[in-house]
Amino acid sequence: MTALTGSTGPTGPTRATRTTGVTGPTGVTASFATALLSEWTKFRTIRVTGYVLAGAFVVTFCYAYLFGTANGRAYLGSSPAEQASFDPRETAFRALALVQLLVSAVGVLTVTSEYAAGTMPASVTAVPRRGRLVAGKAAVITLIMLVCGPLMALGSFLISQTLLAAQGAPSLPLTAPGVPGSIMGGGLYLTLIGLYGVAMGFLLRRTAGAVTLGSFLLLLPASAPLFPDRLAEWVVTYWPSSAGMSMFAPALSSGSLPSHLGSALLGAAVLALLAGAFAVFRSRDV
Amino acid sequence: MIELRQLTKHYGRTTAVDGLSFDVRPGMVTGFLGPNGAGKTTTMRMILGLDAPTNGTATIRGRRYADLPAPMREVGALLDARAVHPGRSVLNHLKSLAQSNGIARNRIEEVLGLVGLAQIADRPAGRLSLGMSQRLGIAAALLGDPEVLLFDEPVNGLDPEGVVWIRTLMRDLAAEGRTVLVSSHLMSEMALTADHLVVIGRGRLLADVELAEFIRSSSRESVLVRTPDAEELACRLRDAGAAVRPGADDTLVAEGLESAVIGKVALAHGVVLHELTPHRISLEEAYMELTRDSVEFGAVEGSGR
Repeated sequence: MTALTGSTGPTGPTRATRTTGVTGPTGVTASFATALLSEWTKFRTIRVTGYVLAGAFVVTFCYAYLFGTANGRAYLGSSPAEQASFDPRETAFRALALVQLLVSAVGVLTVTSEYAAGTMPASVTAVPRRGRLVAGKAAVITLIMLVCGPLMALGSFLISQTLLAAQGAPSLPLTAPGVPGSIMGGGLYLTLIGLYGVAMGFLLRRTAGAVTLGSFLLLLPASAPLFPDRLAEWVVTYWPSSAGMSMFAPALSSGSLPSHLGSALLGAAVLALLAGAFAVFRSRDV
Repeated sequence: MIELRQLTKHYGRTTAVDGLSFDVRPGMVTGFLGPNGAGKTTTMRMILGLDAPTNGTATIRGRRYADLPAPMREVGALLDARAVHPGRSVLNHLKSLAQSNGIARNRIEEVLGLVGLAQIADRPAGRLSLGMSQRLGIAAALLGDPEVLLFDEPVNGLDPEGVVWIRTLMRDLAAEGRTVLVSSHLMSEMALTADHLVVIGRGRLLADVELAEFIRSSSRESVLVRTPDAEELACRLRDAGAAVRPGADDTLVAEGLESAVIGKVALAHGVVLHELTPHRISLEEAYMELTRDSVEFGAVEGSGR
């Protein structure tokens, strides 16, 4: 289509709505990369997601401090037999089990903020391939959490171990066997939880609903002791959020899944939810 | 060029759009008219691929919207000017849209200048007046320099200056050879903006005509005649070729004869006239007559709904 530039009407030059800058320097066209760039700008330019993410760091560090202090005190007050079985690893990443709620909320908000502001129709008009829109949002959360997740896990480890050491309880250095792997595992776990939030956002569309149900499902294993024994054991072992914690935490019970199985189970569950979110989003009127 | 073929949308048992077929052609402003609830917005949403049609197709230059490789470069749309994230700045709002279609950054500044928002590019979009929001929505629609433009009720709630600005912009865009579809529920507005009219009611096509043709066919003149000999005069006027129906009291409404001729007929037959008033049917009246049966929440409502 040729540009109809310089059309001059009887009353002089018409408004210059035409230009050459539209095609872009290298004839860039719409692709997954442009959708991702757009999603990154959207994420960056609203405050709430940034605040929740910053809050997640603060919460991680505060709880790492509290767990380090409390478990150090508990160590000093326990019997020699109990002291012998004390595992500083158990204290290291406790904070992640709480901060996952905020990370999930960040994922939720990248989607529900669009529904709340009414911008979803404009977004779908700009990127009508809905899979590309879902993938763009998922990719932004993945990139952000691949950076922030390991940093949260690292902070949790360093703060908790420093406080254990300060009280004379056993602690681990960063170089101890398995520690770097657990930190990366914790970061990956939080990344998957962020993606879980994205899926919940697409499925439920409302911030309150998605955050509430999302948090409930994440915390369900915490209420396992109330369930009948068989069910409780099943939930703790196989519930994805619980199984996935094997990525950073030592086995909590003898029945726990090994790390690679636990991460695969959580990964599969998140992938299934994202696929469901895409299916619903594609078939629904915006 | 937008082509609609048997486009239909059901919501449960409600039919919002019912077998619409029409073309929207380039180089002119097509006014998309209908009472509130007629299905204008739903039709536009189906053209943009936001709502899936229950039946039929809507294509843009032969392709479904979702199949366009870079849709913003081919179609620009303003649906709801208030649909912006309130905390995001004007510039960033446009930036996120431009990036999604690989549109160069200098184009953002260009459209901001075009709609007169360059001075407030850093203001949060939530703190714009309605008029400025409309301008932002139009800037977004123009970002990709598209050949096809859709505007849903763009002048709603605007001050007279804003209305004139948008009217001029639509005319300019059409003069540049673009396809412009503008919805409205106001005939008077479309009479000033559109070249072609598509009128729908209750989701059905009522008219698909040039504005000039619509004006010609609807500009009938009737004459109100008051006379004590109404019956006598009615016969004489019918003989002279007029369509006559009785009005209130001693009046007749005659169509097809000018008032001067009616006066002559009365004189020739010795009928006394008390009043002789020509009346031109306005466009608005013609439009209301056309859509009368399809007004969703009219003043008089049947009980059997």
